[in-house]
Amino acid sequence: MTSLKELQARFQAGILTGDDTILDEVKDSPREQRTVLFGVYRHSYVARLAEVLANDYELLHTYLGDASFAELAKAYIDANPSDQRSARWFGRHLARFAKETAPFASHPEISEIAALEKALADAFDGPDATPLSVTDLAATPPEDWPRLILEPHPTAIRLTFTSNAADIWSALKEETQPPAPSHLPEPQALIVWRQGFMARFRPLAAEEAMMWNEAAKGVRFGVLCEMVATFAGEDGAEIRTATYLKDWIDADMLAGSRLEPAHASLEGAGNSVSVRPVNQ
Amino acid sequence: MTDHKPPYLGFGLGLRPQHYEEILSGNPAVDWFEVISENYMIPGGQPLRIFDQIRERYPVVMHGVSLSIASTAPLDTEYLTALKGLADRIEPKWISDHLCWTGVHGVNLHDLLPVPYTQEALDHVVDRVRQVQDFLGRRLTLENVSSYVTFGQSEMTEWEFVTEVANRADCWLLFDVNNVYVNAFNHGFSTDEFLHGVPQDRIVQFHVAGHSEEEGHIVDTHDHPVCDEVWDFYREAVTHFGPVSTMIERDDNIPPLAEVVAELDIARKIARELQDGARLSAAE
Repeated sequence: MTSLKELQARFQAGILTGDDTILDEVKDSPREQRTVLFGVYRHSYVARLAEVLANDYELLHTYLGDASFAELAKAYIDANPSDQRSARWFGRHLARFAKETAPFASHPEISEIAALEKALADAFDGPDATPLSVTDLAATPPEDWPRLILEPHPTAIRLTFTSNAADIWSALKEETQPPAPSHLPEPQALIVWRQGFMARFRPLAAEEAMMWNEAAKGVRFGVLCEMVATFAGEDGAEIRTATYLKDWIDADMLAGSRLEPAHASLEGAGNSVSVRPVNQ
Repeated sequence: MTDHKPPYLGFGLGLRPQHYEEILSGNPAVDWFEVISENYMIPGGQPLRIFDQIRERYPVVMHGVSLSIASTAPLDTEYLTALKGLADRIEPKWISDHLCWTGVHGVNLHDLLPVPYTQEALDHVVDRVRQVQDFLGRRLTLENVSSYVTFGQSEMTEWEFVTEVANRADCWLLFDVNNVYVNAFNHGFSTDEFLHGVPQDRIVQFHVAGHSEEEGHIVDTHDHPVCDEVWDFYREAVTHFGPVSTMIERDDNIPPLAEVVAELDIARKIARELQDGARLSAAE
């Protein structure tokens, strides 16, 4: 008798690869041939996961239409057997797959729309955290600001697009005609995060994106101020930095702050940049 | 396991996101909700908050789809830890999953795959149920699944297998009325044989659902209203087992809440008629 282990291996191969060895183990029913009956499992596997992808990438589905999306879904399912307990995570590699796999790779907006939809889904049910408030920051004495380290909200995800995928996504979301896909002259920085219960995204200007990236790495505020001053000039750098910070706080993009230990921030402690708490 | 048989909860529904708003704003006449465990094994956000609000108003049971109790792959301790964590958070009346396997070799096929009814499979499943119950610190409830194939090597009937698992592993059973109906049609046995072949004292829940009929087989799609034949079998099941917590399972083509509540009312009506009939008989 075939062992349970071997039987399950054959059953799975029968679904994933079309191997018919398992048909020797299963019986015809009173009304149906075994090939038809086992075919229910083969069909269900692809249909169920294609439905998962269509739900998770709803606007990409709309953008591509049924036939092209089905082609992408089938290729992805064939290449990525699920290793997850929850189907919620099955499609997590779709953006990378579309970016690396012909013929989808020659349309970068496909991968980027997928990346945006995934980031929004991840932000939607990502970890909870109390947003940093202006009041929280106001408690930091002005002399400590240079060694302040900002903590992004745990749902925050940075994306960089080379196509107008964000505009296409927005048009599809509003159920209007999306613009034709195009390559952007400069890469576009985006930030995705959850505000309240709403997953959101917005573009970041180059300087703001730079400051966010460095802040997310744990670079202290004094150095961030210097970097902003270097990026686009010292004139107004203080105001620009404070404005970015205020925008992030107002939009719940930060979840906390901490002070770098004083001994570790000697280099930045004496710098000439001082930024007042944003509520003053 | 020393925990007592779970309480009778009445008539419940599967909690689906499409109904969140209607449930919170309308307080529908539903006695309890069953949640898909995996849907709430997420880091945070609105689904968990909404769930907490619903949990404050209704008893809840947890129903998993990927425990894979009959798989020959090792038990997934990460999954079990998450399951236990969720149970600690929401305090379900019971935790159920399916008497099936979902994959081997690190793959999850996201389907409820059939088991051969052999002594080898029985020993394997019983051992795994015991391990899971020890880990969770409570009895597991296992559901009979719909299937489309049977195995040449099977040595017993499905109901004999289910009964042996329940008795030897000391677990509860979720009797899926629709799945018995589907399997009886697909494999050519009598629903009565199954009904009378499983132990009454192990049954803690009924599932009732719709399905799709193909030419020579039935597919358990949960995307249709419950058909008359399944309602008839539900009536037989209530007659045989007595009052059992009953739930309408709808997973696709999900209609407005009122439609599913109306289906649940059919179950209530059947159960009430049978109870009234029993009272009359007792009084005579």
